[in-house]
Parts: sequence; structure tokens; C-alpha cells
Amino acid sequence: MYKKITSLALASMVSATSLFGEVQVDPDLPEYERVSGISGNLNSIGSDTLNNLMLLWAEGFREVYPNVNIQIEGAGSATGPAALIEGTAQIGPMSRPMRGTEIENFEAAYGYAPTQVNVAIDGIAVYAHRENPVEGLTLQEVDGIFSSTNRLGGSTINNWSAVRGSGDWSDMPITPYGRNSASGTYGFFRNVALGGGDYRSEVAEQPGSSAVVQSVGADRGGIGYSGVGYKTSGVRFVPLSTDGENYYYPTAENCVTGNYPIARFLILYVNRNPREEMDSLTYEFLRFALSKQGQEIVARDGFFPLPASTANQILETLK
Amino acid sequence: MENNASSTSTKSPAPKGEIWVWFTSLGLVLGLAMVLFLFGLILMRGFSFFWPVPVVQLELKEDSESVFRGNTSFAGVIASTQERSLQEIAVEEEILLEEEEEVEADGILGQALQTISEYRVFVGSRDRYGQSFRYFRHNDILERSFPEDIIRAERRVEGDAFFFPQRIQFQDGSEVTREDAIFEDELDRVVKEARSRRSQINRIDRREIGPINLEIRQLTMDLRYLNRIERSEGELTEAQQAERERLTGRIAKLNEQFELLRDQADELRETNQSIRVFYEYADGTNGQIAIGDLFRFYYPNRLGFLQRVQVAGIQFWEFVSGYPREANMSGGIFPAIFGTFVMTLIMSIAVTPFGVITAIYLREYAVQGPLVRAVRIAINNLAGVPSIVFGVFGLGFFVYIMGGTIDSLFFSQAQELGTPTFGTGGILWAGLTLALLNLPVVIVATEESISAVPRGVREGSLACGASKWQTIQRLVIPASLPGILTGMILAMARGAGEVAPLMLVGVVALAPNLPVDGTFPFVHLERKFMHLGFHIYDVGFQSPDSEAAIPTVFATTLILIALIVVLNLSAILLRNHIRKKHKGSAF
Repeated sequence: MYKKITSLALASMVSATSLFGEVQVDPDLPEYERVSGISGNLNSIGSDTLNNLMLLWAEGFREVYPNVNIQIEGAGSATGPAALIEGTAQIGPMSRPMRGTEIENFEAAYGYAPTQVNVAIDGIAVYAHRENPVEGLTLQEVDGIFSSTNRLGGSTINNWSAVRGSGDWSDMPITPYGRNSASGTYGFFRNVALGGGDYRSEVAEQPGSSAVVQSVGADRGGIGYSGVGYKTSGVRFVPLSTDGENYYYPTAENCVTGNYPIARFLILYVNRNPREEMDSLTYEFLRFALSKQGQEIVARDGFFPLPASTANQILETLK
Repeated sequence: MENNASSTSTKSPAPKGEIWVWFTSLGLVLGLAMVLFLFGLILMRGFSFFWPVPVVQLELKEDSESVFRGNTSFAGVIASTQERSLQEIAVEEEILLEEEEEVEADGILGQALQTISEYRVFVGSRDRYGQSFRYFRHNDILERSFPEDIIRAERRVEGDAFFFPQRIQFQDGSEVTREDAIFEDELDRVVKEARSRRSQINRIDRREIGPINLEIRQLTMDLRYLNRIERSEGELTEAQQAERERLTGRIAKLNEQFELLRDQADELRETNQSIRVFYEYADGTNGQIAIGDLFRFYYPNRLGFLQRVQVAGIQFWEFVSGYPREANMSGGIFPAIFGTFVMTLIMSIAVTPFGVITAIYLREYAVQGPLVRAVRIAINNLAGVPSIVFGVFGLGFFVYIMGGTIDSLFFSQAQELGTPTFGTGGILWAGLTLALLNLPVVIVATEESISAVPRGVREGSLACGASKWQTIQRLVIPASLPGILTGMILAMARGAGEVAPLMLVGVVALAPNLPVDGTFPFVHLERKFMHLGFHIYDVGFQSPDSEAAIPTVFATTLILIALIVVLNLSAILLRNHIRKKHKGSAF
């Protein structure tokens, strides 16, 4: 994942402006234009990180095609592959790539692999209470806070004093918050920030992305990980560092260049028989998601839009 | 409470054991207090969501950390005030030292150092500030005012905004500015017109395009099926080719109709986009909004009490009757109310006969022995199974097995094309899953009330020559109806509030089409639906701006409770009616 994003950065430069908010959408992205004869039911089952984005896309898509009925369930990335295999959904949004076994199960059912469509970039932010003075954390320290295995070589951290907490925070215990195991964010954070190790049992598992942010906002000693789009006024981003010298905030630019270490693609999986032409409704929805309008919605929901070249390349493979 | 009153009034020195009577009443009082507190909290916070509050404009010091891009002026609604003690902010020593000097100069040393109070203000305009709330320290505020001309605007996207409208620009480029006497009336008029255009668009989208779509959908499915046959068989029979031509022709014709209607809607949309309102934020920055994106506005600082009530009423009505917008962050919750209602109805219809029949057999016919006792234990245990387990069962049995079978029998074309009908979660499966979940409640309640029918009544009936079934049908069931209804009421209350199992069998965060509507066959049991309980979960824990969503959560909770109360009340009224009727009879 990490490598992919870096190569993506080489492929194109993305224009990102200020630190927070205002993410610029690549002006070279194609405008979505209406085609005729699109109608039907579109079912989507999968990630809850993508839930809101799917809802907003559905709203925008229905403005173009008022005759389309879109139904969205978002209980966690793990529910996506099952729904695609059972045929209960045409789209399986996931916040992590499918695992080998999930792809195998799909292939066993259909004889071909599921099609992966990257639709947006998401940075996983580490949140702290808004008054927390901590200047930044290295990945090792994050590992020490969240993990019991310490694969990245740090040691277990229980108190803010261990991570340069000053003043009132010099003796504040750390309460870590995280996601439940059905979530793709859970798995992705574990792979990148915990080196694939295990979470500590102290990490309070929350039922939704914004539940994590709310818990941290209500707990002065709290720290938690969740998508960048879920920031509220009660919390702040903690800049992260891989080398202990340069700390980076999760901005669009830092995520695309790979400076910010915990960034990933958000993915829509579809069932596309390579021998047949793709269901036109599903195809048009994907085209909408990768268009300028669709990527503007991505920015509005707090994620980072794709550069035009990447989006066009993905669309090309779908034809 | 009754015990309590009688015990204190009778004998004076507390007899042995009397103290426990006090404990029982204490328990009651505690329970009541908790219920009232919870209900009061939900009522208060739920209603405050609709109540229009004054908008304050704050002028900050230039060196305040709350300054936004050099702008020191903010307008918003104060959400809460909180205080931080000195110790807590010792980390910001430098700032404090500076302040200390200032304060000393003012001669009020000490006091200001103890605490720092700050406002949490809802400033809206998420598109501008990045989030809906900002914190302002009291010390940083130079001036606060309540400007008369500021409006609170409900927008199509990005939530509410506070601003001063400056001018309206019409399609032909002509303008009305705020200096004109007619400005405010004009603003009112264009927003109203935009609203009526929007409801026209909605009508075209839902009522007129809906039925056309349904037909196109069906025909396209048939067509795709034929294409598929052609691909696999290589060739179509003549009849099939003729069929395909007929389908293509019909679809083209329907598409023409559809495009005509869509163009009408597009034209209205365009008009709504072409009239624009230019405005200024509290800090003087300019902005503009298309009239179609400005849903409703009011002058929060000009309203008298009655006008506030009126605005609250309108907002309440729009909340309960409107459709959600912006990933459920704004707009109304009508589909969720309706979905909850229909699902509870389906559940009641399914669970009552099933439960009553089981109870009658268990109580009247089954030979009481170890087997029946085992069945009873099983039923009671069923009541203790976590609801999510029923959800998993519903997904496996109803959706995959039953739904899959129905699809392969009746909707095989659709199934082969990867668009399931009953083979995916839907309101029918959700209703049946909840019916299973509540089955033990109904069985137990029915059994209790059947066993409460006096033995004499049965024996009298049998002695008069009635058969056993006649006795049950004419005497036992009518007499135990109130008890059966009690079971149903309990089941309904539990069913309407249950969320966990529904997430697996058909609840969705957004379902634009209702399960019952004007298109044939009117009741669409296969459709997914929205549910108030799930809506609360979704808005409260999944929405990106969870802070701004909290009032919505309380308002939705209020509606959910109100819906359950209404459902229960009607069942209770029915029960009382039956009781009265029964009392009046010959027994």
C-alpha cells in the first residue's frame, strides 16, 4: 500500500493547498456527463468508513439519474466480500484491499477475480484531545501506545509523560481508543502502525469511525485512530513521523507523497465478468465516483481526491 | 406507593419487617426518577433542536488563538460554556505570564488567573471553517452583539450558515440590493418560489418518473436475459428475436417519456441555480449561494416568542415529513419513521397468530410431561438469546435460503444477472426475524392468560355439551384476548427499538424508496428500509461531523419514543375496549 502511494506520487503531482480543510480537486478530472438508459437497483454492502461517501455519491448520482434506486449498507469492510460472493450486492466498498482468502472464495464462486477500483485516498489520523500539547509521535511510540507486541521496536507506553507530555500532561495516563475488528481501519492501522502485531487489550474498541473521535474528545488523556474526515472541534491531529525528525500532519499532499505514513486507498470492489460487458448501472456509478463531481464529493466528505491521471487510468481498465 | 401510605397511617411504632415496605417504595421512586430524568433529558434536548435561538456576533482580540485567517469576527449560536482551571492550562505558561501582567495592570489580579472560561459556539458554514464548532475564550472577546439583520440559512449542503444577505441577482442580471425597501420581501419571495420549484422537481422525480422506471427496469432485465441467451446459445429463436424487438421498441418509447420529464425537472433546477444571493459573513467576507441551495432562512434576532414557536413548528414538521439529505446529516427522517412503522406492523402480523397457536397447543392439548416442560424451557431460553444471534439466523435462513429459493423460483432472470430481489435483506425478512425474536414473549403472555381463565367456565361449557375446540374458540380465547394483546404490546415495544439484528437483514442508512408507495403492487416487501433506531446509530456514530449531529440524534430519539408510545397506546386502547366488551357479556 505504502509503495503504491509513493509510486502514485511519482506518476503525478497533486495540488494540495492549506493545512486543513480546503482540499483542491484536480481540475483535469473529467466532468460527469449523463448517458441515456440508466436505471435499476444498486445495492452496496461493505465498509462503514465509506458509508457516508457512498451516501453522498448516491445523492449526487440520483440527481443525475432520478430513476435509480441505491441502497447502502455499511457494517464493516469484512461484510463486502461476503455480499459480493452471495450476490446480494453489486458494489462492495472496502477500506482495505481484499485478503487472499477473500479473493480465493470469490474466485471459487465465479471463476474470476473481483475487480478492484480505487476511488479516494484516506489518511488515518491519530487524534488527541484538543488541549493535548504533544508535538508529535513517532510510529514506534504509536506502536508502544496501541500494541502489546511492540514489533516496531519501542516499549509499552502508558503515560503521556513518556511521549514528551508537558505541564498538566506530565502525569496523565493514556487511554487508547480504536475500532472494532470488522473494520478495515482496524486491520490497516495494525499492518502499518503496529507492524502487523496485536492490539493491547486496553484499546477500547468503538463501533464507528466518529465514535472514536467522540470518545477522544470527551477524554483528556485519550488517543485514538480514525479517518481524517471525522475531525471535530474537540480533537486535534497528532503529527506522525517515521524517522523521529520530520513530523507530518495528515494533509492531502503528505498522504499522496507518502510522507505521512498511514494513508491508503479507499476501494470499491465490483463483480465484473471479464468475458461480458459490465452492468451499465454499476459502470456509470463508478464513472461518476471517478469524475470531477464525484471527487468533489470525496473532498467534501473529508477524504482526499485522486489525481486525474490515476482516475483516468482506473477508468480505462474498466472499459 | 399504596403500601407506603397504608403502612404509615395504621400502626405507629414500626412493626417487624415494616422497614422493607419503605425499601419497596424507595425502589419505585428511584425507578420513576430515572425514567423521568431520561425522558426529560430527551424531551428537552430533542425539542431544543427545533427551537430557534438568538445568534451572537463576537469580536475577538487580534492575538486570540481562535482567529480564523486573520478574521476576528464570528457569528454563531453558543452551544455551551465551560471553564478550565489554572492548573490545567499550566502548559501554556508563556501566554499566562503575559496575561498576568495585563491583569495586574488592571488591578484585578488573581481572579482571572483561577479559571479561564470559554464558549463552544456553533458557527456553521462547515465549507468555510472545516468544522461546525469553534472555541472562544471569554478573555479574548472584545465585544458581543446581536445583529438584527443576520440570517440563519438552512442550506442544501454543508449544514447551516449565518450571514448578512446583501443582494439578489436574477437570471437577467438585474439586482435587488439591501438598500432597496423591497429587499427582504424579495428575498422571501425568491426562496419561497425556489421551494415550490423544488417540490415540483420532487413530484416529477418520485411520482411521474417512478412508474416509468419500474417498467424500464423490468424490460431491461428481460432484454439482458435474452442477450445472455444469445451469447451462450449463439442464436435466438424467431419468437425470441421478435420479443427482443418489441422490448427494445417499448424501452425506447418509455425512455422518450422519461427524458421529456427529466428535461422539465432539469429546467426547474436550472432556474433554481441561476438566481443567486450574495452575502457577507460576520467578518465582512463575501460569499454567494444559488437560490436552489438555500432551503429556508429566518432572522433569529428579530423573532418574538410566538414567531419562535412558529419557526420551531415548521422545523419540526419538516423534520418528521422530509427526506434526509447529505448522508443523513440534514433534512428529515420521514422514511425512517415510516420504515419503523411498517416493519413493526409486519412483525406483529407475523408473530401474533404464530405465538397464540403455539400457546394454545401447549396449554390445552399437549400432554403435560417432560417433553412439554423441555419445550417450555427452550422457549424461555429463546427469550434470553442475544438479538444479534437472531439477526445471523435471519440472514442465513430467511435471506440466503428462503430468499434465494424464492429468487430462483420466481425471479431467476434477475438472480442470474446478479441483481437479487428477495435474496438480499428486505423489510419482510427484517419483520420475520423480529417476529422470531419476540415469539417467546407472545407465547408466555398468551399461556399465562389462558391459564387464568377459570376452570369453572371451561367445565360449564363442556357440561353444556360444547366440544373442546368450541370451548377454546368461544370462551377461552375471547377471555384471554387482553392478555394476548399485552404480549403483543411488549413485543411491539421491543421490536420497534431493536437495531442489532436488523443491520444484517435489510436496514440501510439510506433508502430513497418507501416499502409502501403508489407504484404497483403498492407494497414492496423486498425493499430495504430505513429504521429510526439504526438512524440514531448511523447519525450518532458514523457521520463525519458527529458534533453537529448530536442534536439530531436527540430529536430522532424523541420521535422513536413517540412512535413506540403511539403504537402501544393504540394497542392498549384496543385491549381496554375488548375488556369492557367482555365484562358486559353474560359471564
